[in-house]
Amino acid sequence: MGVSASATAEIGGAGEADQHKVVLVADRVSKAFPGVLALDEVSLEVRSGEVNALVGENGAGKSTLIKLMAGFYAPDSGEIRIGGQLLRPDPAAAHEAGIATIHQDHHLIPSMTVAENLLLGRWPTRFGVLSRASMLRQAETVLDQVAPNLSPRKLARQLSPAESQLVEIARALAENSRVLIMDEPTTSLSGREVDALFDTVSRLKAHGLAIVFVSHWLEEVFAIADRVTVLRDGRFVGSKPAAELDHDAVIRMMVGRDVEEVTTQSVAPGPVVLKVEGLSRAGVIDNVSFEVRAGEIVTLAGLVGAGRSEVVNAIFGADPFDAGSVSVGGVALPPGDPTAAMQAGIGYIPEDRRRQALVASMSVRSNATLAMLKAVSPQWLIRPALEDRIMDKAVRTLSVRMASADVPIATLSGGNQQKVVIARWLAREPKLLILDEPTKGIDVGAKAEISEIIVRLAAEGRAILLVSSELPEVLALSDRVLVMRAGRIAGEIDRASLTAERVMTLATIG
Amino acid sequence: MNVKPELDKSIRPLRAARKNNGGTAAIEVVQDLGLLIVIAIGAIVLSVFSPVFLSRLNIENLLFSSTIIAVIAIGESFVILVAGIDLSVGAVLALSSVLSVGLVNDFGAPVPVAVIASLGVGALIGLINGLNVTLTKIPALIATLAMLTVTRGLAFIYSGGQNIAPVPDFYVTVQATRLFGVPIIILLTLGLGVLAHFVLTKTRFGRSVYATGGNPVAARLAGIRTNRVIVIAYTISGVMAALGGLMITARLEAGAATAGQGTELTVISAVVIGGVSLFGGEGKIAGVLLGVLLLGLVQNAINLLNVPPNYDYVVSGLVIAVAAALDVYRRNYLEVGLRRRANNPKFEPRK
Repeated sequence: MGVSASATAEIGGAGEADQHKVVLVADRVSKAFPGVLALDEVSLEVRSGEVNALVGENGAGKSTLIKLMAGFYAPDSGEIRIGGQLLRPDPAAAHEAGIATIHQDHHLIPSMTVAENLLLGRWPTRFGVLSRASMLRQAETVLDQVAPNLSPRKLARQLSPAESQLVEIARALAENSRVLIMDEPTTSLSGREVDALFDTVSRLKAHGLAIVFVSHWLEEVFAIADRVTVLRDGRFVGSKPAAELDHDAVIRMMVGRDVEEVTTQSVAPGPVVLKVEGLSRAGVIDNVSFEVRAGEIVTLAGLVGAGRSEVVNAIFGADPFDAGSVSVGGVALPPGDPTAAMQAGIGYIPEDRRRQALVASMSVRSNATLAMLKAVSPQWLIRPALEDRIMDKAVRTLSVRMASADVPIATLSGGNQQKVVIARWLAREPKLLILDEPTKGIDVGAKAEISEIIVRLAAEGRAILLVSSELPEVLALSDRVLVMRAGRIAGEIDRASLTAERVMTLATIG
Repeated sequence: MNVKPELDKSIRPLRAARKNNGGTAAIEVVQDLGLLIVIAIGAIVLSVFSPVFLSRLNIENLLFSSTIIAVIAIGESFVILVAGIDLSVGAVLALSSVLSVGLVNDFGAPVPVAVIASLGVGALIGLINGLNVTLTKIPALIATLAMLTVTRGLAFIYSGGQNIAPVPDFYVTVQATRLFGVPIIILLTLGLGVLAHFVLTKTRFGRSVYATGGNPVAARLAGIRTNRVIVIAYTISGVMAALGGLMITARLEAGAATAGQGTELTVISAVVIGGVSLFGGEGKIAGVLLGVLLLGLVQNAINLLNVPPNYDYVVSGLVIAVAAALDVYRRNYLEVGLRRRANNPKFEPRK
C-alpha cells in the first residue's frame, strides 16, 4: 500500500490535478464487538477519481470498515485520515470532512420534496424566509448531473428506490463531498437501473470523486471497479487493480479456498412423509397437491411471488389455509397451528431469519433450544445440562462458530445464525424439514456448508422440502422440483430431466 | 521467532472473544449497579441533610412504604416483558381493597375467603385483559385503560364512594407481624421478588416470556403458545395488583375505592427505570426492585426535607426524568466504553 500517486497526478491537466490522489486512508484499524473481532488491522486507501470495490463474505468486516470511515464508530486502534487529517469519530465530522455515505436503506424524509431533501438543513433563505425559487434552482443544478429527468418538486415518498438513491447521490454532490461510500447500492435496483447508476458513478469518478463501492455481486464489481479490495474474517486479504483479477481469483481471496459444488446423493426414497392435497388459500395458493418421501429433497422453485413461501407457511401452520389437507406421517394437521405441525414432526426454517426465527435479545443457547423448551425443562424447570447437551450437539454436527453459547445471537454471522436455527429443529429429530431460502443472505463458504447439511439430512432419511430462488442451488440439491406459478404448481421435473431452462420455462410460461 | 506472531494472530480473535465474555458479564453487573449507585448517592446526600434518614425506623419506613408499589411492579414486569402494558393495576388495587373488607363486613365471609376472592377477582380482570389483547386484539394500552375505568367504577359502585371500615383484624395483624425483627410484609415482598426472578430466569414459562416479548413471530413459529404466555402474564399482573389492594387495605385500615389512583404510572415508571424495555423481551426483576426503591427514596426525601406537599409531583417527575436520562446515558456511553475496554485485544502493550 502507500504507493505515492503524485506521479500520475502530474500527467493530468490542471482540472485533473486531484485525480488519483489518496483522499481517504484507513491505517491498520481494528474494531471489536462482543463475540467478534470485526476488523483486525485493516488498511484501505481510497483515491480520487477511482472506484475501490470492497468485497468479502458476510461477516468479513465490510460494514464495520464503512462505519468507521463514516465516523459511526471509533477504531479501537489505528486511524482514519481524510486529506491527511485525522478523522474525528463522529458522523457529523465525517460529513463535514466530505465523506458521504449512501446506505442500503434510503435516508430521505418522505414528506419533503426532492429539492428540500437535497438541501436538507441548508435551505436557502431570503430575509430569513425560505426561498423556494432559489432552492429549486440550486436543486436543479445538482440534479442535472445525476438525474436530469427527476423533478425537484416531487415528494420523496413518490420516488422509486432507484430515484431515492440518485437523490442521495445528488445530495452528496450538493455538499461537495470528496468521498462517496456506497453500501450495496444495487440491491433494490432493476437491471436497467443498475446500468444507469453505473453511468452516474462513472461520471462522478471523472469529476474526481473517490468512491468506495460495496457489493456482493462480482459481475457488478468488475463492471465498475478500478481496484478491488478483499476482506476476510475481519482481515485485509489484498487490494489489486481490477484489471489484474478475475472472478475466480476474487472468490479464492474471499473464501481462502476453492468452493466445491455440493450435490444431492439420491437414495431410494422411503415412505411418504408429507402429503398435501388440494391446499388452497384465497388469493395466494390455488389447489396445490404433492408428496414428499423420506430421504427425498423436493424443491419448490419459481419466481418471487409465485406462492412458494405461502405453501410452506400453510403447511407448517404459520398461516392458515382455507381448503385442502396437510398430513405428516398420516396425521392430518389443523390449519394455522405451528405447535401441532411441530409435534407431528415438522421442522421449519423460515425465509426471514431475523423476523421469523431469531430472538435477537436472547443468547445463542436460548435460541438453539427454543423449539425444545419442553424437553429441556421436563418439570417446568430449565435444566442447563440438557440445554448444553443440545448446544454441544449443534456445535459438533453443524460446526456453529461462536465465542460462547452465552453471547447474544445477534453477534453471530448470518451463516452461523442460520446453523443455530437449523440446530433448533434438528434437536427435535424432525421427519420433515422445511427450509425456505436457507442460504439467503449468507456468505459463500457457509452456503456450501448449509447445502452439505441439507444433503446429509436427506441421506439420513429425513424428508426435505426446500424453497429456493437460486437456480444453481435448485439444480444441485433437488431430487425433484415442483415449479410454482401464480399460486399453482405449474409442473414437476425429476432429477433426470432437470435443467435450468425447464425450470425457468415452467416458472415464467407454465 | 518468525512464526510466533503468526500464531499469536490466529488465536487473537478467540482470546478477544473470551475476554469479551467476561466483559459482558461485567457490564451486566455494572448495569444493575448503576441504579444502585444512584440510590447510594441519593442516600448519602440525604443522610447529610437529614440525620433521621439513616435511623432504623426511617429505613424500615422507606422499605415498608415501597412494598405495595414493588409487589404491583413485579406483576407489571411480566406484562411489559411480553411487550404489553397494564394500566388497570391501580383500579384493580382499589376493587380488591373494597372487596377484601366488604365481603367480610357485608356478607359475613370468612377472612381467608375474602382474601382469596379478592385475589381471584384480580386474576379474573388480568385474564380478561389478556384475552382482550390476544384474541380481540385490542391494543394493550386501550384494553387496559378501558379496564381501569370499568374496574374503578365497580369499586365505587360497590362502596358507594365511602371507605369501608372497620377492617378485619387479620389484615392489621399481618401488617404488624415481624419476623427476625423485620416487618413480614417486607420479607414477603422480597420473597415474591426472588420467586419472580426465579420463574423468569429458570423456568420454561420465564423463557417463553422473554421469547414472546423479544420476537413474538419467532416464538410462535418455535412452538411457543405465545397467546397463552401473554394471557398468563396479564393474569399475574392482576393477582399482584389485587395483593397490593390487600396491603393498602391494611395500611389505610379501610377498604378504599379511591386508593391507588395514578399508581399505574408510578409502577410503570419503576419498571422502566429498573431497566425493563418497553418493547419487551429485556429486563430483570432485580432492576425493577431497585427502580421501586429509587422512587421510594425520593418520596422519603420529600417527607424528611419537609418539601411542601404541592411540590411533591414536580420533584417526583424530575427524578423520574433524571433517572431515565442517566439510564440512557449509562446504556449508551458507559456500555460502549466498557465494551471497548473489555474487547480490545490491543490493550496489551505491543512490541
